[in-house]
Amino acid sequence: MKNAFIFVFVFSLMWTGLSAQDPAIRWKREEPKTKEQLHLFHSIHAVNLPTAETLKKNELEYEISHRFIPTVTADNAYFGIDGPANIRTALAYAITNHLMITVGRSNLQDNYDFRVKYQFYQLDNPAFPVLLATRAGLGWNTEVYESSGKLRDKTDSKNFQYYGQLIFNTMLWKKLGIGVVPSYLYNSHILCVDTEYSFTVGSYLQYYVSALWSVYFETNTTVTGFRRTYNPITLGIELETGGHFFKIFLSNSQALNPSQFMAGADLNVRDGDWRLGFNITRILKL
Amino acid sequence: MKAILVILFVSLSFLFSQEYHVSKADKNEVKFISDAPLEDFEGVTDKIDGYLYFENGDFTVNSQLYFEIDLKSLDTGIGLRNRHMRDNYLHTDKYPSTHFKGKIVKAEKTADNQFNVTSEGVIFIHGIERPLTVNGKLTTMDDRIQIQCQFEVKLSDFNIPIPQLMFMKINEVMDLRLNFYLKRFDAKDK
Repeated sequence: MKNAFIFVFVFSLMWTGLSAQDPAIRWKREEPKTKEQLHLFHSIHAVNLPTAETLKKNELEYEISHRFIPTVTADNAYFGIDGPANIRTALAYAITNHLMITVGRSNLQDNYDFRVKYQFYQLDNPAFPVLLATRAGLGWNTEVYESSGKLRDKTDSKNFQYYGQLIFNTMLWKKLGIGVVPSYLYNSHILCVDTEYSFTVGSYLQYYVSALWSVYFETNTTVTGFRRTYNPITLGIELETGGHFFKIFLSNSQALNPSQFMAGADLNVRDGDWRLGFNITRILKL
Repeated sequence: MKAILVILFVSLSFLFSQEYHVSKADKNEVKFISDAPLEDFEGVTDKIDGYLYFENGDFTVNSQLYFEIDLKSLDTGIGLRNRHMRDNYLHTDKYPSTHFKGKIVKAEKTADNQFNVTSEGVIFIHGIERPLTVNGKLTTMDDRIQIQCQFEVKLSDFNIPIPQLMFMKINEVMDLRLNFYLKRFDAKDK
């Protein structure tokens, strides 16, 4: 009996002492396992050229784009906005975080565009981050008038164009995005008897002025093969929100779909011939 | 003698501390809800961790409640918006997580296994600490405790610029809703 009281007394003293201290918490923090995917450019497009960015898995992107055909200096055309205009509408879908497909249509020769983009490399280096992607596509021109004025059969093999692109992106100081896009286009002149090709090197710079605004310059130089009269040049501004991109720009090209854009432009910017264009995209969750 | 020892043993068992850790195996959910004129949006994550400690079977005795949320894992449903939120507003490179540390100061039993609790402590967001009182519901179930709570955070209190969406500012008060499970810690489980 006496021993029991001594035990209770000693234990009470010990307990009081222990309780006065902070409890010894045995929980230990685990390092967060969330690894962010590397993103450099904000959009999956520069203007006409692609960036190495892809949508998030199961996201859709709807695109509506215009290239006003009259130049900004044309008479009575309100900077070209009175039109007519070439229009593209497209829908992209991300199968994975790195693989996406796009179906688009332009009213320029009723060109249907089917393409796949795959991002295959990320270098998450703070000073020199790199993203690499590749894009392959098919352009199907379904309204082609031959020089005789005859409408060519839609399924004529000369109506199909194929292209492949390698996309290199980096971002300096988290502000200046740089892109280089070597491209190969097969059957770049669909009215030529012999099959033409074009090898071009596209490049673009995009400077992010703020979280919402950026400015950019894009060009696509034909290195060898067929080219319309001039290399395409585009410069403009971009406004982005949580799910939209609004790009407004001046360009010497009237083409929207890649197989048409890569074949060159028709205006000489040295003469001050520019046309207005815009791209609007909206990202949606499936 | 035997009776005294039995009484002593039973008494001591109540004196033992109880520590519960967030159970990653359960369906935890943290929501950041924001009202905007055009569209509301939610950031959702299950990446919550932390603990609850108390003694004598009483949630308010020597109580400690701590939880932290991995902000890099917040998903608003659109990848671009996630990036905006992380890079432009929450600056998760610098402040990857947010946490609350406090104690349960009031526990009112409302049913067999349910309590309305009040916790007072400090919340850390975006590099700034502020005192916070949170009311919530605590449910006990075998070796688990479920905590559900809701509170509001004023973004300007934490030096977070208010996100713009389609030129319209969203509400600067963000609604946080937490629903997570804690499992009784057993050293043998380590």
